[in-house]
Amino acid sequence: MGQIVENTQTVGNTLLEVGALLMSSGASTHRTRVTLNRIANGLGYEIESLITQRAIMLTIIEEDQKYLFSRLKRISPLKPNFKMVSGISHLSWNVMEEKWSLQQINAELDRLKSLPHYPRWVLLTTVGAAGSGFCYLFGGDPLNMLVAFVATVIGLFVRQEATKLKFNPYLCVFFAAFVASFIAGLSELFGIGSQPDKAVATSVLFLVPGIPLINSVTDMIDGNIQNGLVRAINGLMIAFAIAVGLFTSRMILNF
Amino acid sequence: MLELLLKGFWSGIAAVGFAILFNVPKRTLFPIGALGAIGGLVKFGLMYFGVGIVFSSFVGATVVGIISIQMAHLKNSPPLVFSIPGVIPMVPGAFAYRMMLGLIALIQLEDSDTYIQTLIDMVNNGAKMSFILMSLAIGVSMPMLITRKESIKRSKFNKEKKVTV
Repeated sequence: MGQIVENTQTVGNTLLEVGALLMSSGASTHRTRVTLNRIANGLGYEIESLITQRAIMLTIIEEDQKYLFSRLKRISPLKPNFKMVSGISHLSWNVMEEKWSLQQINAELDRLKSLPHYPRWVLLTTVGAAGSGFCYLFGGDPLNMLVAFVATVIGLFVRQEATKLKFNPYLCVFFAAFVASFIAGLSELFGIGSQPDKAVATSVLFLVPGIPLINSVTDMIDGNIQNGLVRAINGLMIAFAIAVGLFTSRMILNF
Repeated sequence: MLELLLKGFWSGIAAVGFAILFNVPKRTLFPIGALGAIGGLVKFGLMYFGVGIVFSSFVGATVVGIISIQMAHLKNSPPLVFSIPGVIPMVPGAFAYRMMLGLIALIQLEDSDTYIQTLIDMVNNGAKMSFILMSLAIGVSMPMLITRKESIKRSKFNKEKKVTV
């Protein structure tokens, strides 16, 4: 009897962890709920879940309704990690099809959590290249693209450092937008390239809140209107932080 | 024409940059680049033939959404891993920037004639930006909602094992 209670608790804790990881890695609410149900069914449990942006609540229903597990878990803020989303998707199917045990699930979760991110220099250079790509798309010339590259790299570096110093996330975006647009704005001051305003406009594009905005629409169409609204407002606040950063650097440069 | 191809190429680069920012699995990097390039080609190709920017963005995003579902089958990753980095190159950054500049100008202007002109420009840029953003988000999630009556893998799975979930 004690065994069943213990099992229910460990299963519940694992499920909560899976849900929290998915939500903070950038999965939509529907995907999180479906995945939790799939894993729970694979292990032989029925669950009901309440998933919000920053907390997740889970109740496990035993067959004979004797033992109850119900617990709330906080979700850490969004930190995009599609390796995790992809890995947990595989995991849930393994539970369903290969009948994975709880130990296997936990081992796989630990492995997914320990997977390394891309090295920092790769991140900086590719995102910088993306910045110059944007600059080309908006009609900048090669010099503008170079400026956008440098501004994006430095801006991303500032954001990473600010995140490490545990500043408020919107403040991190503000710092990054300010520094990036200031550097790109200097090219306007010194007349580098034919269309320096394009470099300024594209230097902050690496900050666009793509995941919150797209997931917001997906969530709302799925009927998770509350989560969709929260994501939309989060996206708007990030966009606002970018705008304030741009605004500040323009004020200083036009002074 | 060459310019169009170059735009496709740089769209792909932008998509890969965001893919790395979002820490996607390595095996999906190349498909994401190709997807971004295809989306960019569709969008800028349509604009090249005189279609409006909002509708071109919508079609481009829809194409990205449809292909990302196929990619999800091929590469065994959820569709959003492909679709989100794939549409980001189409983000209307220039309009957003111009709207911001207009807003800043409005704060400082006194003269009524230029004020009205600046206001018109700002509203125009802002409307374009928000409609492009909406068409991107809806275009990219529509194919997923239409084909996903349940889940990508489940349809296959049910046929094989007859399990009701």
